[in-house]
Amino acid sequence: MLIALLPETTLVVTALVVLGFGVSVPKSRTLITAATLLGGFAAAAALVLLPADGNFLRGMVALDPLARIFKLVILGLGMVAAVFASDSFPETHFAESLALILFGTVGMMLLAGTEDLLMIFIALELTSIPLYILAAFAKESRSSAEAGLKYFLIGSVSAAFLLYGLSLIYGVAGSTNLQAISRLPGIPDPLLVAGIVLTLAGFAFKVAVVPFQLWAPDVYEGAPTAAAALIASGSKVAGIFILAKLLTAGLGHWAGSAGWGQFLPGWAPVLALMAAASVLLGNIAALVQANVKRLLAYSAIAHGGYLLIGLASAGPESLSAVLFYVVVYALTTAGAFGVVAIVEKQRGGSRLDDFDGLAKSSPVLAICLLVFFISLAGIPPLAGFFGKFYLFTAALRTPSLLWLVILAVAMNAVSLYYYLIVLKHAFVLPAPEGIRPANASASGFLVGALALAVLALGLAPDLLLSPLVKQNQCRGEWEIRSMPRSDSGASGFPKLTATASSRAAEH
Amino acid sequence: MQSDYLLLTVFLAIAIVFPLIPLAMAWAWARLFSPAKPGHDKQSSYECGIESTGPAQIQFQSHYYLYALVFLVFDVETVFLMPFAAAFLKLPFSAFLALMVFLLLLVEGLVWAWAKGILAWK
Repeated sequence: MLIALLPETTLVVTALVVLGFGVSVPKSRTLITAATLLGGFAAAAALVLLPADGNFLRGMVALDPLARIFKLVILGLGMVAAVFASDSFPETHFAESLALILFGTVGMMLLAGTEDLLMIFIALELTSIPLYILAAFAKESRSSAEAGLKYFLIGSVSAAFLLYGLSLIYGVAGSTNLQAISRLPGIPDPLLVAGIVLTLAGFAFKVAVVPFQLWAPDVYEGAPTAAAALIASGSKVAGIFILAKLLTAGLGHWAGSAGWGQFLPGWAPVLALMAAASVLLGNIAALVQANVKRLLAYSAIAHGGYLLIGLASAGPESLSAVLFYVVVYALTTAGAFGVVAIVEKQRGGSRLDDFDGLAKSSPVLAICLLVFFISLAGIPPLAGFFGKFYLFTAALRTPSLLWLVILAVAMNAVSLYYYLIVLKHAFVLPAPEGIRPANASASGFLVGALALAVLALGLAPDLLLSPLVKQNQCRGEWEIRSMPRSDSGASGFPKLTATASSRAAEH
Repeated sequence: MQSDYLLLTVFLAIAIVFPLIPLAMAWAWARLFSPAKPGHDKQSSYECGIESTGPAQIQFQSHYYLYALVFLVFDVETVFLMPFAAAFLKLPFSAFLALMVFLLLLVEGLVWAWAKGILAWK
């Protein structure tokens, strides 16, 4: 049990040490960042080296290979935010901001490794509270305070929704364990319907989809860029992963169907409606944005919609597509925020005009920006294209979701316009006078590495996809082994089919 | 099942009527017997018997709020220490260790706040 939580414990201890540094040597920011990264590497090593199977406290802490992959991804995204922090967080209380990033990362990792409703809620709060504080961390800036307050108010209301929904599900199932919930008879119960809808509302806030998206633009714009990067990447990965787990492993019987003319009540049609609305609103509202962070927020809403399409189709293959897509999206958007952080530091703003002539003043940064935005738009050979392609084909396999996919593809074409607008500012428009090229910094190198990762995942998506599918096969065997003791709490996450990887290999 | 709910309904009705009766009696008494003589003292809101000075809605230092947060450290500590102390002899050593870790976390919060100068009144 304690061994299973070793990575999280390592991060908490690191956070405490970093807080100690904040009191004793608050000025030495390099030391503080180095300590944070060291703790991150130690946690990653613990994750990789320790056995990945196990189930403790009736599923409160559940480890399996898939959760381990996602814990690693989340840890990586947390470290990315920690590196960007030195560019975007104020000088005062720097150590505290890194400690909060670490605490938030711990919450997300716990979220990925649990199959119990109570633990889901606690981990979600542990994720959210540091993020609220981080959003408001630039005390001198009014917009940061506004971002923090909005995020906190809307977040706490949605947490109440989630808690109420989870309590109703518990009331019907008599257990907080996802496995036990999945064994409920499939008779529709009005109480359960209310519970599912309220739970979905809570999670829809977390992944910022319509109609729970209102906080996103203001928070992304106002929060310090590193905090926005963590909110947009790590928090989204953890939220989508646990939502997928909850829906497929726990509530799989109540999927229903969102197919055109084949409507069946369940969570799938709710997700489909939210997906359609998000894809429409996100992409259209992004067209008129003058601030790149705001634009990324609306694009995040649209991408949340794409992800929900995958979840709404409720097929085994679409699940692996969703998980692949969310990782790719998180890497890309973290990189894009990294570019924004560097530009912001250099030119003092993140409006579209601030990107003018980026290709002249810092060509490498501009190329990274190109990679991220083209990947977000979904153009081959970048990872975003493969993610979308796989997601949409997977969605088409399950009954007649064609209407949703057509809508998403059409709106994706719209999205190309606003991504290209940013690139036009960076590559075509002349640079204003007196802009010095950006110095090489740790953030710069990290942005380059993320761009390379996005390119690599586009050229060889199997790098990520085949481990995902392989781990699932391993887990399948593990599930069969533990079958006789059905109460042992083996993960009920449905196996992802092997066809996913074979089809991936064809492309 | 049905009679359970019937009982609840009866309780609900009694719960609503019960406080209404004295209110109605007080209203009827005032209406029938007491002459209306409003005055300054009668109109003023009753707080604690001491005459109030100044309005209640004033600005106060946000420092109070930080103090309340730091106080929470001790508060939470007590809530968890009490049951721990009550069952101390029956607990294994690991429980002792776990609680010490918990205390360490809280104490680190206090030490951090202290070192940041939050406890000094400004």
